[in-house]
Amino acid sequence: MASYFSPQYLMLLLPATAGLYAITPQRVRRVVLLLASYVFFWAVSGSLIVYLLFSTLSIHHLGLWLELTGLTGKQKLAQAEPEQRKSIRASIQQKQRSIILLGVVIHIGLLLTLKYSQFFLGNGNTLLRILHMPAILPVPHFVLPIGISFYTLQAVSYLLDVYRGKIQADRNLFRLALFLGFFPQMMEGPICRYEQTAQRLWDAPKMQWHNFYLGGQRILWGIIKKMVVADRLNIFILNVFSGYDQYDGSVIALAAICYTVQLYMDFSGTIDVALGSAQLFGVAMPENFQRPFFSRTISEFWQRWHITLGTWFKDYIFYPVSMSKPMKKLTSKARKRFGHRYGPILTSSVALLCVWLCNGLWHGSAWNYIFFGLYHFALIFSGNLIQPLVLTVTERLHIDRNHVAYRVMQALRTCVLVCIGELFFRAEGLRNGLKMAWRMVTNWSFTPIVSGNFFAYGMDAADFILVVAFLVFLLFVGLAQERGARLGERIVAKPWPVRIAVYYAAICFLVIFGAYGIGYIPVDPIYAGF
Amino acid sequence: MDRLLELLEEIRPDLDFETCQDLIDGHHLNSLDIISIVAEVEDAFDVTIPTVEVIPHNFNSAQNLWDLIVRLQEEG
Amino acid sequence: MKIVKPLLGFAAFGLGLLIILYGLSFLFVPKNNTKDAGMEEVIANGIQGEPPNSIDVVVVGDSESYTSISPLLIWKDTGYTSYVCGSSKQYLSYSKTLLERAFETQSPKLVILETLCIYRNIPAKTIVMDEVSRYLPILRYHDRWKNISQRDLAVSEESTYTTPYKGNRRSTKVNGADTSSYMTQTTNAATIPMVNRILVEQIQQLCEANGAKLLLLSTPSTVNWNYQRHNGIQALAEDLGIEYIDLNTMPQEVPIDWSTDTYDRGDHLNYSGCVKVTNFLSRYLEGTKMFSDRRGDSQYDSWNTLLQEYEAEVSK
Repeated sequence: MASYFSPQYLMLLLPATAGLYAITPQRVRRVVLLLASYVFFWAVSGSLIVYLLFSTLSIHHLGLWLELTGLTGKQKLAQAEPEQRKSIRASIQQKQRSIILLGVVIHIGLLLTLKYSQFFLGNGNTLLRILHMPAILPVPHFVLPIGISFYTLQAVSYLLDVYRGKIQADRNLFRLALFLGFFPQMMEGPICRYEQTAQRLWDAPKMQWHNFYLGGQRILWGIIKKMVVADRLNIFILNVFSGYDQYDGSVIALAAICYTVQLYMDFSGTIDVALGSAQLFGVAMPENFQRPFFSRTISEFWQRWHITLGTWFKDYIFYPVSMSKPMKKLTSKARKRFGHRYGPILTSSVALLCVWLCNGLWHGSAWNYIFFGLYHFALIFSGNLIQPLVLTVTERLHIDRNHVAYRVMQALRTCVLVCIGELFFRAEGLRNGLKMAWRMVTNWSFTPIVSGNFFAYGMDAADFILVVAFLVFLLFVGLAQERGARLGERIVAKPWPVRIAVYYAAICFLVIFGAYGIGYIPVDPIYAGF
Repeated sequence: MDRLLELLEEIRPDLDFETCQDLIDGHHLNSLDIISIVAEVEDAFDVTIPTVEVIPHNFNSAQNLWDLIVRLQEEG
Repeated sequence: MKIVKPLLGFAAFGLGLLIILYGLSFLFVPKNNTKDAGMEEVIANGIQGEPPNSIDVVVVGDSESYTSISPLLIWKDTGYTSYVCGSSKQYLSYSKTLLERAFETQSPKLVILETLCIYRNIPAKTIVMDEVSRYLPILRYHDRWKNISQRDLAVSEESTYTTPYKGNRRSTKVNGADTSSYMTQTTNAATIPMVNRILVEQIQQLCEANGAKLLLLSTPSTVNWNYQRHNGIQALAEDLGIEYIDLNTMPQEVPIDWSTDTYDRGDHLNYSGCVKVTNFLSRYLEGTKMFSDRRGDSQYDSWNTLLQEYEAEVSK
């Protein structure tokens, strides 16, 4: 079982789980979900499931320990004399912080070791060579268990939430296990918070037709996005990115656009399957995308793209860093010096830099990911800096910032900036990314586009027409959703003959226009590799 | 409360804090504003806003923020 | 009772879907076995363009099969007709499909299965696709939406294409192989994936049902073959009662010179290697006494013409 798009998942695991879930009583339903989750993990990563079990056990234990420390601390506080309270409070906090530190070190440490040791030791060897010393660091090669980048973040957020008193530590090991290991989120997220899904999963609500239809059609929609568009773009992108020096600048630019489309369709399609699968069981996982390409700024883009990762970084890195004591002092000072506008920008940029370094690194241990993070940091930072200027200029020129044309211009600008970023993101190493960007500037001509030569690079004219047509369709869907339309609900509300017709049409569309079988290479979901 | 409104308007003169109920959810305030607001509020009202309280609900309206300040002051 | 109604609903939905896809399949299935008409792997499927019941021996397999065996040379040596339904990286599930298609118009007495594809892991998707698409061809030919024409509205199908070399593909390049660890003796046996074993059994049954004998043949390759693999196939052949010949173990009968007889360092044989394998095969086929020499038969004149062209090509 390689992914949610494999027949084993769609035709065996998911229907079997849903079937069992539908016919068993509540107490059994939660067991069904947990078992299915472990079967899924086992089928993908085999015995590496011990990592997941270890994470589950350790956060269960650490969470309880944290809470117990807090409770006994409170009792002590109640009995203590008023003047001693301060020192007791400090010692409790000290202890709790040590526990948190232990938990974070264990989990992030495990992630770092498995995912990044190659990168750091490899770069260490390079450094040694530069210093004319023998490169002696052994570079291990670990096999990553599925979803470790995602469930680790869930585990850490659970511990921090317990520490902050936002949630109570969970006594029930199985509820926690289900929260951490629930199979629809295992592959590419969304990164859920304990209060979002844990109790709902444990409740294992009765299966409802309404949820069944909503979930089912969302799964279908996700498969269409991935198989019709994302997989179709694959060969063209593969060709251009691996042999960019044979292609013209305009073709490279086209490939960067295509990759951005592929990444969005692939990732959001997989998330649709994940959210749809959870919906079957009546569980609403948090949305991960909200029409990112309608964003007016890069900062807004990141509030609409991979939302659960963005909010994770915001809650557990950005605010803690920017609201730590030294940073708060810096903020006040900077505000007095540079004023309301620029003061916080400067201090928050420190926190922002942390976020973007982490974001880049989270995607993988390579320089081009770090560059990708810094690129977006630079864009957001400079966006913050020039915002007042933009306001004054548009004001002076009497430009209506809410005018459709202005907003479209902003959205297009965002798309261009994002595509440039994704070029580096996809490039095979930072050096190649820079070379591609350079070639785009120095070797630009419209000849291959105008002459249609680029139809020979992996996608013919029909392929391009299909992709563009689908994107136009998606544009209208997106516009309707921006206006608040809930299209999924609307389909479910239709009388059954209409609904069935829609489903048949969608399946036939998928069967005919899907990029599978002869002439195509099956593509694993991209984000599962991160 | 009036002092809070004054303070908020100083940071973002373009927003109507008295009526707006979705400052965060409606994407009116960005994270920079929040950092400024937290810093200002802590200065002005002599409270410490812990990170755990930096959630959309507490910042969605001036009233909610005021409630938070009162609560923090009571907790000491 | 609560369960019955939804189950009926699902069944009805599924049935409706199958009917729709079945109907659409008529539009998508190629109306000829040419590339233009949308046929895949035209060389392997070229056998459909041969006159009915004109082929004595059918070979299926991956690239090993079409580089190692030349039907026109067998014709030259023996007067028997053969065809190589080989495609690169062939999956066993597709070998089965090719054989089924071949049996529709041909009644060969012998089927040779090149053994390398028995070790090729088949992705689950491919098995499902290969099995289901024999009933719903739209799954295999869906990509033809790009060039569907009025002609596809017709129901009739024809097969007009066949390859001049009867499936053989020839390379004259030389790139010698390293033979230091080639066919080192061992008693270990490589494992054959469960699904592949089942497919071999199905192919065996298919041959039996059509009155053909099945032969497993391992053609020489230093890259793809070793003693573990030999042992695995040997055990399988004994289990199922199929005859097995491994040319890798017969350097006397098939004297491959690995410095001159391969074009990609021992992965595939070139023409001079192909001649050696084919010579052996001709003698083997004569030894079975199953076939008769058709060289005098005027219906097979085209084979002589093709052989002349082939030899002209070779001597270039």
